Amino acid sequence: MRNFVLLLLAQVLVFSQIHLFGYATAVIFTIFLLKLPRHTTKNELMVWGFLFGIITDMFCNTPGIHSAAATAMAFFRNPILSAFTHKGLPEDFIPGVKSMKWGGYIVYAAICISIFYALLFTLELFAIRYLATLIISTIGSTLLTMLFIVVAEFFTPKK
Amino acid sequence: MRAILNFLIKHNHWFLFILLEGISFVLIVCFNNFHKATFFTSANSVVGNIYSAVSDIEGYFNLKDENSTLTKHNQELLNEIESLKGKLMEYEDSASLANNECIIEHNNDYRYTVARVVNNSTNNVNNFLTIDKGIAQGIDAKMGVFNEKGVIGVTYTSSDNFTVVMPLLNSKSAISCKVKNSTFCTLRWDGSDIRYSYLIDLPRYEIFENGDTVTTNGYSSIFPSDIPVGTIDKLEDSADGQSYRARVRLFVDFSDINKVYIVGSTKKAEQDQLEESIKKK
Repeated sequence: MRNFVLLLLAQVLVFSQIHLFGYATAVIFTIFLLKLPRHTTKNELMVWGFLFGIITDMFCNTPGIHSAAATAMAFFRNPILSAFTHKGLPEDFIPGVKSMKWGGYIVYAAICISIFYALLFTLELFAIRYLATLIISTIGSTLLTMLFIVVAEFFTPKK
Repeated sequence: MRAILNFLIKHNHWFLFILLEGISFVLIVCFNNFHKATFFTSANSVVGNIYSAVSDIEGYFNLKDENSTLTKHNQELLNEIESLKGKLMEYEDSASLANNECIIEHNNDYRYTVARVVNNSTNNVNNFLTIDKGIAQGIDAKMGVFNEKGVIGVTYTSSDNFTVVMPLLNSKSAISCKVKNSTFCTLRWDGSDIRYSYLIDLPRYEIFENGDTVTTNGYSSIFPSDIPVGTIDKLEDSADGQSYRARVRLFVDFSDINKVYIVGSTKKAEQDQLEESIKKK
């Protein structure tokens, strides 16, 4: 719960205000969804995603856009995570570099994040004539968020 | 029956998914069409208060600039007082000479309110800004917003103490303007550069030059006439070749707005009602 509030405040007061080169905006609350344990149910994931999304929407005056994208990302998270789960892993683990190694975790995160942004910008721009902007924004924002995800891995307390 | 129930239980996440996405899409569509989705915007009082607390803190960082602007403004006002005093003396002299009563006309058509911007975006296709005055202060939808440099936009939706403004930098914004006091046209934004907006459907029979000033025309009862908007920067043919399209360099720097004025016509309701009654017939 504490993580939820802190991440949200950081998101709406700092990260949502920064638009790098006018294209890239980091949506760091996605880290929360990525890091939920392996056995978290789809329903639980989607409720978290929706809550994060709808509150961010309230602050950004974009009702429904973040929530739709985050719910979809949460929906697809478990199937994507399964694809990167190998046999050496314990039954229930927290996705991260420690459990999945760099390669696995980065690719898993990148796929989830790009699904999120592709939907987010499609809904925001909602017109085919902005196709170039859509692609640039999706790639730019995914890269920026991936940067924060990697940085966050270095700061995760080692148990 | 049991099979159907099992099916529903087994696939319950699909229903939650559809429900949540449904809510999201309803919100997206509603916000684009109605002014009623106030709760889900930064006009919501919790969000508004958080923004206004942050903006209080941020305000300290701009004090130096703010001070110098105010000093400059003060100086201009003092100069104006001086020149007005001089003129008043002249008129008093001539009035006493002619022994005429001086009639001062009061312009009560518009009411002005000052507000502070607590949130502002410039990087989307549809930008919005939030100000710290709302219905309790007499602010409502469809009122003009400007600052000392020029037009900013039109109020979009209000809660008790906050209002969301649709600035010129919103692809849905359309402000009726005039060029050189004669030509009437509409200002629209194309969603790219925050320094420029576009006048569409300029008639071909008029001659325009770069540098012509664009102002509001006062027809819509949102803005009084002659509030500056910008200057014509580049002229080009419209897509269909029937008219001109002009790029307008906006006077307002949208990345740096702090204090704004909201103007409401005291006779707006009357004008709207009259115009509405014609449409019904």
